[in-house]
Amino acid sequence: MSKRQLDSVKRLSLGERRLMSPRAKRDMWAFIGFTAPNFILLGIFVFWPIVYSLFLSFFKWNMIAPKKTFIGFQNYHTMFTDPVFWQVTKNTLILAFFTVVVKLAIALGLALAMNKHIRGRSVYRAIIFSPTFTTSVAIAMVWSWIFEPTFGLLRVFMKPFGIPPIDWLESVTHSLPAVIIVLIWSGIGYDMVLFLAGLKNISLEIYDAALVDGVSPWQNFWYITFPLLSPTTFFLTITGFIGALKAFDIVAIMTDGGPLNSSNVIVHFLYQNAFQWFKTGYASALALILFIIIMAITLVQNRLSSRWVHY
Amino acid sequence: MKKRSLIWILLLVAMLVSTGSLWAAAQAEQKPEGPIKIVYWRSLTGVAGDSQDEIVRRFNESRSDIIVEAQFQGAYAEILQKLQAALAAGEVPDLVLLDSPHLQIFAKDGVLVNLDDFVKKEKADFLKDYIPGLLADGYYQGSLYALPVLRSTPLLYVNGDMLEAAGLPRRAPATWDEFREYSKKLTITNAAGEQIQVGAGFTTTVTSGHWYFQGAVYAYGGLVSDENFGVHLTEEPAVAVATLWQDMVFKDKTAIPSNSHNDFLNKKVAMVFGSTGSMGNLVSRADFQVIPAFLPGQKQNLVPVGGSVLAMPSSDKWRQWAAWEFMKFMTGTESQAYLAEKTGYMPNSTSARNHPDLVAYYAKNPHWKVALDQLQYVRPQASVISLPKGTEIIRQMLEKLLIAQIDPKQVMEETKAELEKEYNENFK
Repeated sequence: MSKRQLDSVKRLSLGERRLMSPRAKRDMWAFIGFTAPNFILLGIFVFWPIVYSLFLSFFKWNMIAPKKTFIGFQNYHTMFTDPVFWQVTKNTLILAFFTVVVKLAIALGLALAMNKHIRGRSVYRAIIFSPTFTTSVAIAMVWSWIFEPTFGLLRVFMKPFGIPPIDWLESVTHSLPAVIIVLIWSGIGYDMVLFLAGLKNISLEIYDAALVDGVSPWQNFWYITFPLLSPTTFFLTITGFIGALKAFDIVAIMTDGGPLNSSNVIVHFLYQNAFQWFKTGYASALALILFIIIMAITLVQNRLSSRWVHY
Repeated sequence: MKKRSLIWILLLVAMLVSTGSLWAAAQAEQKPEGPIKIVYWRSLTGVAGDSQDEIVRRFNESRSDIIVEAQFQGAYAEILQKLQAALAAGEVPDLVLLDSPHLQIFAKDGVLVNLDDFVKKEKADFLKDYIPGLLADGYYQGSLYALPVLRSTPLLYVNGDMLEAAGLPRRAPATWDEFREYSKKLTITNAAGEQIQVGAGFTTTVTSGHWYFQGAVYAYGGLVSDENFGVHLTEEPAVAVATLWQDMVFKDKTAIPSNSHNDFLNKKVAMVFGSTGSMGNLVSRADFQVIPAFLPGQKQNLVPVGGSVLAMPSSDKWRQWAAWEFMKFMTGTESQAYLAEKTGYMPNSTSARNHPDLVAYYAKNPHWKVALDQLQYVRPQASVISLPKGTEIIRQMLEKLLIAQIDPKQVMEETKAELEKEYNENFK
């Protein structure tokens, strides 16, 4: 037999074995058997709804009527010419930006402080972490009371300084900042814990070496801690943005998007359209836009990350 | 071996499916064996929820051929969403408690059972007993789709102690002009120029802001919209109300937008609006005299009736029959007298109003009688409230008036245009 023939025989037998061997076949069935429940569930509850909602975005439908009317890109046209949509998008981006940036800055500061050997630091850590496991409804209710202009807790602190009362949640200018403050407060604990874990991963030898070289505390932070924490910071930026772009519960309970849509955000607007105003098609189009926004921001951040994230 | 077992499984599934549909078909033909089980979706919590469960219990006790299962599905807005989802999934309850304006939404798309045939089978004067103003919004295009159950009206709640402190008699203002005068006298500013007590609070929530506004427009002799969805907001009565409310907030500075009854209970606001359904809560929680009163009149006394109706989405003949039996029971005299006494909602019929238990109860608790006295002035809500986005558009109108301080004429024009657009695009 020539070498070539030999090779092809080998390949054939190998192929045959791969295709036919009862053992491989059993393995394959086992694989399918074990993964099928997951695939079926994901398919029914994740992939199919995504496809279906894309399909619905080309229809006018109120979810009750038996008939769906095909209207092409009308929903998208309505959306782009609707000033409320642009206001809501702007609100969402402002909310996401400020929530993430301020939250990360405070969480990093707290993590640095909590990393020091302070008496009772585990108690402090637990306190700062506690909003993470508090339900958002309770958070929203308590903060609504804190913002209350006459009897609220915030008023009590501001009164001695002669600051006039602000009706945060009933004001066109203050409702969005109020929501942002609550989102920052409720997310700091989680970010701090991840920063703490990141800090623990930085080898102490690097600091020792720096100490020998006589660096200042600021240089210590800026040239060692911050760059070596960058993977954590990157992770928290991405997840923070995605979470903030999907903000819903706090908005729904504290302001219901008002007054005059001043604190309305995309997911809440989508919910209003789909379930309060029965505009299923329009809401589906909104969902697609939200998906695109999240995708775009994540991609941009990923691209930028190579400049500042050091693994 | 494996193949064969697969075939068996497929066969079994096929058999199950076919027997299922056969069974469903047979069911439609003849009355099924044993009691018919129907599902009732209820709303409301606390006393108003418990007393519905009690009605269901009483019904089940009295009947051996029907079993009603009450399922709590959340507030009116949530019921709306769940019913919507249920319809999309094809799994509907047999009976549902709907906020009255929501009826139109479902009746329009033909998912509720037309009750006219059921009424025909009853005595000729079956509908006579119901209070006409309450029965009226159970109709869609001339056909009956729902019966009134837990009905309420908007009221004005006044802090009696504050009235006295301001040198006013302990009674609520009778007209909107008087309401404005009272509000001035009830507002107290301290030496630092800070308001420590405000005359009135206007509700701007999406659920009930429109309700009190409608009441005020009725009082001025106008309407928000007619049955054919003609919007009358730019006419004199509605503009007058809008101007009055805005002037009270920004010119007089004697009123604020207030969306929580806590402002009233904490003695920050002297007069607030609320449903008859809030009476029990306010009276029991306040440590001052609460005076429940009619909404102020002006040219006339007329109020938009709120609260819920009982409707039937059931798709099966026999279950519809069972659902109708329960509907009659729940909207009947005994049940209504019980519900009115327990919850403070209004009795829906003349016979329930004259029920000895209820008469005795009102004699003992005179403030509950306000609801009863208001029955003669009730009338259905504006048609635009039935637009899914109608309440939101009116909420925005109130926010433009009372928070953003935009010129009333302009606001009314904009709101009219938006409501008409919504009707033409999504409801017609």
